[in-house]
Amino acid sequence: MTEPEAPADLAARPFDELVAELQRIVQALEAGNLPLEESIARYREALRLHAAAELRLREAELTISELGRGMGAEPGPEE
Amino acid sequence: MAPDSDQATLWEAPRPAPRILRVSDLNRQVRILLDGDPSLADVWVEGEVSQPSYPPSGHCFFVLKDAASQVKAVLFREELARATVRPEHGMHVICHGKVRAYEPQGSYQVYVESITPAGTGDLHQQYEALRTKLAGEGLFDAARKRPLPRWPRRIGVVTSPVGAVWRDIGNVMRRRYPIGELVLSSTIVQGPTASGAIVRALHRLYADAAIDLIILARGGGSLEDLWSFNDERVVRAVIEAPMPVVVGVGHESDVTLADFAADLRAPTPSAAAEQAVPDLTQFPAILDRLRDRASAAIFSGLADRGSFLGQEGRALARLLPDTAAARQHAAELVDRGHRALSARTSRELAALQGLADALRALSPAATLERGYAVARLTDGSIVRDPAQATPGEPLEVVVARGTIATRVESTAGPDEEVLP
Repeated sequence: MTEPEAPADLAARPFDELVAELQRIVQALEAGNLPLEESIARYREALRLHAAAELRLREAELTISELGRGMGAEPGPEE
Repeated sequence: MAPDSDQATLWEAPRPAPRILRVSDLNRQVRILLDGDPSLADVWVEGEVSQPSYPPSGHCFFVLKDAASQVKAVLFREELARATVRPEHGMHVICHGKVRAYEPQGSYQVYVESITPAGTGDLHQQYEALRTKLAGEGLFDAARKRPLPRWPRRIGVVTSPVGAVWRDIGNVMRRRYPIGELVLSSTIVQGPTASGAIVRALHRLYADAAIDLIILARGGGSLEDLWSFNDERVVRAVIEAPMPVVVGVGHESDVTLADFAADLRAPTPSAAAEQAVPDLTQFPAILDRLRDRASAAIFSGLADRGSFLGQEGRALARLLPDTAAARQHAAELVDRGHRALSARTSRELAALQGLADALRALSPAATLERGYAVARLTDGSIVRDPAQATPGEPLEVVVARGTIATRVESTAGPDEEVLP
């Protein structure tokens, strides 16, 4: 195991949940009372969450839509 | 009897021939007369609207009358768009404008520049009266303000789809919060029908339960331009919103009643967008700090375990030469681990696992497991020097899974190899 797994399963989770989860793991690791294997597993998860969140930021593109075009929406004064 | 005088009464001096005007000339002369009167260039007239018409040109023609008289009036399209009321039959209004002749019709009319409902005082008085009334109902209380969601996913925007405001909001979101989703509910934002349109645009968003937050925005303008945002229907619609509303109307100094009703009042439309969402441009650094804290925590955890094992195995560590090599190996692994950490690569994980294995190897049990043994004399002291033992003396040999009772056969000096 040299690379964190591709964070594909994390792609569907909201960005803020990734960050919150990462924060929880950091706090658990800093508390320092986890068994060795457990803390390594948590650390691996932290790296995956970090990678997923970073990817999300890098690839984010604002979504824009409009409600009610042609269903009672009104043109602007300049139209 | 003077025949002359008779004659005089009979004689009439010939009149000059009347100057016969063309209709156009007459109308022009009247127009010039009216144009020349400065008091007609700036009139305020109060009356009742009668028979307004709205032809396709976009202008509004109506008659303004009182009990005794009437006068024609026109509100051109541009002024109509800015007006706070739309003239309706029977409406009592005050018009401000100028009186001009309309030559082709031989009529004069009031060219209205602004029109306000009469009897309600001026706009400032209306604003103050409504503000007092709504504040009295508690609608502007701080306790009513809801906190904004920290991470809104679907953000509704009520504004005009044309012009700078919508574009500016999009730009702010793209820069600060590209993971969000903007949903425009478009509306007109000025003119007599704007209030109703704004209320409808808000309600279209209220019908979408997935909207986390609404931004209601409009660019700067005069008090008249912004008047829709002081309309009671708009204020109440903001109050009724099922999700928090951020209002950004006009410039910093413009405070509309909709601002008071908002969960958060922003000074401008762009500021509304900025205050509605967190700034993700800071997040790459925040994420890296979290990862570094995770790395630091796990390394310090491993170091603590290492020192615990080190205490347990101190005697053995000194006794057995190979332990030093193992320690050095572990130290190298620690160094490599730290290098991996500073290089910020995921290889740090591999280094960590190597380090964990190395630390396990340091425990006395693991050393014994590899085949090493500890020799003890009957008094329990560990044999480090052949001189401690005499041939024939009992000796206890500790191995990984137990002890062996034995005796010393013979001893040899330090120059001779005793370990493989």
